[in-house]
Amino acid sequence: MAIRTQKEVRERAPWWLVSLLALNLGLMSFYATDTATNKNVVGMWLGAAASFFQRPVSWVGGGSVGFFQYVGNLRHAATENEGLKQRLAEAEAELRDARAARDENERLKRLLEIREEADYEIVPARVIARDPSVWFNSLTVNRGSTSGIELNMPVATRDGIIGRVVGVSPVTAQVMLLTDERAAAGAVVGRLGESNALGSVRGLAEDGLLEMRFVSGLEPVKEGDYVVTTGQDGIYPPGLSVGIVVKITPGSATSPHEIRIKPSARLDSLEEVAVLQYKPPPRPAMDRTLPNVDKGKK
Amino acid sequence: MKIKIALCVALAVLLQATLRGIWDPFGHIDLPLVVVVYFALRRDPVQAVIIGTVAGLATDALSVGLLGANGFSKTLTAYVIAAVVTRVMLDNPLLRIPVIAGAAAVDELIYVFLHRLFAQTLPSPFAETTAYKVIWTTVAGTILCYALDRFFSDTAKQRRQFAFRRRIARRGVSSRRY
Repeated sequence: MAIRTQKEVRERAPWWLVSLLALNLGLMSFYATDTATNKNVVGMWLGAAASFFQRPVSWVGGGSVGFFQYVGNLRHAATENEGLKQRLAEAEAELRDARAARDENERLKRLLEIREEADYEIVPARVIARDPSVWFNSLTVNRGSTSGIELNMPVATRDGIIGRVVGVSPVTAQVMLLTDERAAAGAVVGRLGESNALGSVRGLAEDGLLEMRFVSGLEPVKEGDYVVTTGQDGIYPPGLSVGIVVKITPGSATSPHEIRIKPSARLDSLEEVAVLQYKPPPRPAMDRTLPNVDKGKK
Repeated sequence: MKIKIALCVALAVLLQATLRGIWDPFGHIDLPLVVVVYFALRRDPVQAVIIGTVAGLATDALSVGLLGANGFSKTLTAYVIAAVVTRVMLDNPLLRIPVIAGAAAVDELIYVFLHRLFAQTLPSPFAETTAYKVIWTTVAGTILCYALDRFFSDTAKQRRQFAFRRRIARRGVSSRRY
């Protein structure tokens, strides 16, 4: 390649800038209008490629955090001699491993409980990455289409639902959390089948809370009530826990309640999740015949 | 050199996605932006905009946000810095701090503006998220730029050249001795 002078490089830079900005604008235009899958194929394949790096780093990283915390604790024990420190380090390392193993065992056991209770298969998965942009709440799990995961499958922990699958590659899946403003689920306050406080839950941009909309102001709702899924959204199975009502601004006959819900699943510290291979029951076909037209024919 | 830069960009993007999974506040550090700013300060606008586009698009591909928004904002930010740095001396450890902070703010403003333009919702509150990002990215970016200097600065290049020459010279001396 010919060596260019600084002046030539500067003269060419605006052309590069315009073409690259145009490329990005084109991509944005294409992406913004594509609502069918919510995700581009290139992104999914890059996600799959990135997972080969993310898995070991997330595995090592989890251990590293514990290690640095341990180092911090040791500073406070300056008066102890080196021998005791060594023994303490060994004991703590063993304890940490044992606790980690016990916690993981507990979490996996609880995931298995979902499988026993549900009439659909579940795929346990490990969280390997979070959304690189701080604006969005999504995560990547280490199971993909080869494990039977499909778009829009619900994802949950033993504590409750956490979101749905919005992108699938052969070995990874991207999950949009319920706290994302674009995520929503049909839910009811109280017991499913007994309460009429039906509404729609979606993410809020504050404190990791959820907002429940369209609940009639005439329905009795109070703080501390449980919220469960109804299954009417065609994504989440009915009866799964969504969260608990933490704040309510009462509505009236003409205005709905304003309800804030704290998710029952701890969305900020997810390690293992369960992808539910739930297929919603088919909806009956809409009756499109016009009775008046039929009458006219007769 | 180009392979090193590509590796550096790839590593920044992958760490960006991975570190947030370990501790959520790490998500406020925009590592790809730091890399983009670092190379934009090297007075090569063409290289800067290409790195900006590649780093931005790779970040977008791993995010559920609008594909191309990060690419656009980082390309524009890189060009602005590269254009300014050819007129004003900015590649100085102290001056880098306001440059990184300004770049983080500009990048975020463009990113949010593009999402609004294309009618995409952003779930996080604007002022709080931008403030956290500027602070975290500035602190981490200042440290990271020092680390990048070890590999990419002219001094590091000279150091490598001198080390090579010293090795050759030592070999020459030892062959004469025996």
